[in-house]
Amino acid sequence: MGDLAQIQFDMIPSFLGVPVGDLEDLMPGQVAIAGYFCDNLDRPMAGQRYLARQLRYASQPETVLAKTTDLGDVNVFPLEPDKHFSAVISQCEAVLEVGARLVLVGGDSSGLKALGIAVGKITGEDASIVPVTGGITDNLSKTQPIILSVDLQELAGIWMSQPRRLAGLSPAQMIAQIDATPGNVVAAAVFGLAAALDSWGSTETRAALTILKAVAERLEKGAH
Amino acid sequence: MNNAQKRSMITGYAGLPFGDFSQVLEGSVGVLGAPSEVDSGPRLGTSSAPDALRKMTQQLGISLPVNGWDLGNLDMSGNWSGALGQFVNQMVDHSTIPVVLGGASDVALAVLQTLPDLPVVAAMPLARGDVAARPENTIWVGLNGEQPVNVWDQIRQRKMVWRTARQLDEGQADILCMPESAVLWIDMSVIDLGHAAGAVGLNPAGLKPETLVSIIGAMACSWQAIVITGLAPARDTRGMSELTAIETLNAALRNG
Repeated sequence: MGDLAQIQFDMIPSFLGVPVGDLEDLMPGQVAIAGYFCDNLDRPMAGQRYLARQLRYASQPETVLAKTTDLGDVNVFPLEPDKHFSAVISQCEAVLEVGARLVLVGGDSSGLKALGIAVGKITGEDASIVPVTGGITDNLSKTQPIILSVDLQELAGIWMSQPRRLAGLSPAQMIAQIDATPGNVVAAAVFGLAAALDSWGSTETRAALTILKAVAERLEKGAH
Repeated sequence: MNNAQKRSMITGYAGLPFGDFSQVLEGSVGVLGAPSEVDSGPRLGTSSAPDALRKMTQQLGISLPVNGWDLGNLDMSGNWSGALGQFVNQMVDHSTIPVVLGGASDVALAVLQTLPDLPVVAAMPLARGDVAARPENTIWVGLNGEQPVNVWDQIRQRKMVWRTARQLDEGQADILCMPESAVLWIDMSVIDLGHAAGAVGLNPAGLKPETLVSIIGAMACSWQAIVITGLAPARDTRGMSELTAIETLNAALRNG
């Protein structure tokens, strides 16, 4: 019975095929990925909230991510902004308090804001938000907490199903930037994409998935 | 554009207010839709281009780098080419820039006929005899594929400047001898089909969208009129073709 329950549980689609877990399962140094189902609060665009679901369904098992867990979705209250931010911040705090690193996936940029506040509360330091387009990290100390802001709207139009501009980064450029981000990256937000369900949507979904994998790998490395 | 159409849109192209010709100030632009349809071939859809461009600029919150008015769409019944010519003449006489959103190539031909003495910068895959025959030399951008022999002879004899799509995509973007002022005609068929499918012409190995934007944006030329034709929005569900047209127009107005 226990084995059967385990098999069924493992069949739940998860980010990058990593194990599904709960807050109690987290250990210091682990990476927790959580979905963020809210796209109406900061730079709103309907559809961004479905990114987490789409990435889970498109995921294949990734054996290289040994320290990463899919934590499910954070609880959100999009129609009550005060309650929403308070709830999301405290959930992020709970993950970071364990000593785990956190990736919020999907939604609008309000998740990044909540993440910034939570990191500040836990570490007692202002977190530096480093955008994937390339931020100045030269002045940061090795211990200063860093949050990676992976705004998928920075992808070039050719990678998107509904492009908003022609210029931008390729997924490879984003991944190189993520990998090259030095310092103590404690959290990341991957957001800004309302992935379509057509063939181009498949392209942007696979691009987002590859980028998410790079983010998880970078966070597994911890401070460096 | 009739009143019902105007009411259905709060603002015009790129957030410009709807207005009349009399409101367009010197140095600003007047955007006019000329929704003509191609008369042959399997790829139709140019008549929906002006409104699709307005809609996309609204959706993306794109604005123009210059002030101006959206003058709505031209009534395409009757002698529309005469009305278009009159509009372009008035605009140019008042030192304003007419930006004409086609429509098929007949829209651009009507504009060129109105300004016969100006050189043309033509972004299109196939050189046209009627444009090559103008008194001033044309600068050809993004030529691709086999060119008509008689037109090509004329281009060579008159030493017109031309760049193929491949040359431009490979970075050979230096275009010497740019005229001080010219008419800019962008036929959206100049773009590679694989990058942006919303054009009436099929152009494999055509220009990349970002190349077109950067080439036009780098041209230091005072545009007397700008015409965009050949856009068939319904053929490009991603909107890449409209986005290319919008960004190219912005690049032209930023510099010209």
